[in-house]
Amino acid sequence: MDFIVAGFLKAIELLISGDTSTWTAVFATIKVSSCSILLSIGAGLPCGFLLGYFNFRGKKILRTIVDTMLALPTVFIGLAVYAIISRQGPLGQFNLLFTLTGIAIGQTILALPIITAITASTIENIDQDLKLTLAALGAGKRNMIMTCLWEVRFSILAAIVTAYGRVLTEVGISMMVGGNIKYHTRTITTAIALETNKGLFANGIALGLILILIAFIVNLSLSFLRKQ
Amino acid sequence: MKTENQAFYLKDLCHFYGSTKVLDIDQLAIQQGVITGITGPNGSGKSTLLKLLAFTIQPTRGSIFYKGYQEYPFSQTIRSKITLLTQKPYLLKRTVFENVAYGLKIRKDTEKLETRVKNALFSVGLDYDKFAGRMWHELSGGETQRVAMAARLILKPEVLLLDEPVASVDATSAKLIRQASLHAKNEWNATLVIASHDLQWLYSISSRHLSMSKGRLFPTGIENIITGPFEKDTDTNHIKKMEDGQVIHLPSPSGKTRSAVIRKKRIFIEHERQQSTAGLNQLSGRITSMHLEKNSLLIMTAVRVSDMTFVLGLSPDKITKLALYPGKKVILKFYKKDVEWI
Repeated sequence: MDFIVAGFLKAIELLISGDTSTWTAVFATIKVSSCSILLSIGAGLPCGFLLGYFNFRGKKILRTIVDTMLALPTVFIGLAVYAIISRQGPLGQFNLLFTLTGIAIGQTILALPIITAITASTIENIDQDLKLTLAALGAGKRNMIMTCLWEVRFSILAAIVTAYGRVLTEVGISMMVGGNIKYHTRTITTAIALETNKGLFANGIALGLILILIAFIVNLSLSFLRKQ
Repeated sequence: MKTENQAFYLKDLCHFYGSTKVLDIDQLAIQQGVITGITGPNGSGKSTLLKLLAFTIQPTRGSIFYKGYQEYPFSQTIRSKITLLTQKPYLLKRTVFENVAYGLKIRKDTEKLETRVKNALFSVGLDYDKFAGRMWHELSGGETQRVAMAARLILKPEVLLLDEPVASVDATSAKLIRQASLHAKNEWNATLVIASHDLQWLYSISSRHLSMSKGRLFPTGIENIITGPFEKDTDTNHIKKMEDGQVIHLPSPSGKTRSAVIRKKRIFIEHERQQSTAGLNQLSGRITSMHLEKNSLLIMTAVRVSDMTFVLGLSPDKITKLALYPGKKVILKFYKKDVEWI
């Protein structure tokens, strides 16, 4: 028990003193997770909308695939991305292995089905009275789509928060694709794993605290947006 | 198909949900600038008819003419002239102001927006300063209905379709919605089609009445629909047992019919039962409401008999002669042979 308390105190000291290895991991995490979540939103929202709003042949199969991808293990995504971007892989010439870009690609694959699936479910469950009301008020197709999206904005925000939480806390992709290179591709989660293995609990707890703080700030910002 | 002063003309209209036929109308004309009331039991097709008139759904079969022109596919222009207030109005997750102004904003018609929102809210009895900034979840059921009504009135539509507008509101809201509806008719000669269970409210506002049952229309006015289950009594007789034990005798149906109708002009009202009852239904009930029908000047009298309500039109002289008033016990009489199967 004592070592946990000691670790906690050390964590505060590390954060205040501006420990370089700690802060580079923090910035790498923020950078890579923000990048991947933005990419996932850009692709996932339209895909989720199309999947939820329209009826087309093969929709059920597509939904099943997207839902299955929700359960993809991060190590499997890491392995797949590793295989694709490694020197022998189809994208080998871009030298993405052991880079933050490589991690961002993997994390985008992780977040994309979450945003797509939740957006699709949200759109599917839109109150039929909303569509009828909009039609009765004379809304055209474009207005109807935009208003529907605006009406379910809170659920879509929840989808983004869920995806961000998953991206922020994953280890498998960052470890396999990023290689956990100090001052370069080390993220908070891979650093925690490494520091704990080395028995440096203080560093691990410090990074854990920051992880929680980032998650808290993101949720707080979204909660503020929701109130607006 | 151009006919003078005709807002809608429906021909051979049929609508299905899946394999279930919910609407079957041979023809129906609705005049411009007239308030038409529709009544009928749940599931009779009233809401579907209003949705079709609002051009929000397309009929499975048949044609809808608006001002003489067949509308298919539905143009944006036509939809902007007709608006529907649904039974459970949906308010956007925004302020009252935004809800009322929405229709104008999507039409990019935002001149003097604040004044117009103020007037629309005023027409349904809501104070602008008090309500404009309120969120959708800060309203009562009656206020929600009135905000939804204001969102339609601000558009000054040629046709205003109201689906059970007073079903879940208090008496004050019902009165204000009535006033707002009449305002639309008087101010810009709007055509109104209103579906409601509240016969008294409907009679107080509409000048033409239709009744519906099982997707079929009775353009002769509000008629008394007798719904099943029915039991076979003899080869030539069916009966409908009511909750209090009273029985309605009906002729045996020919073919696959599920409801019966007894037209209001075929029902008599008296104080005493008759001795000779061959082929005569005699039902004991209590008058629940009486209302003057504007056109015919007949007093529409609703009589509750067990779990059913019958409506019949009585002259003021008859009312005086029998000293009828709401709450009075009466005997309704009609002949078995006058019951029609539909």
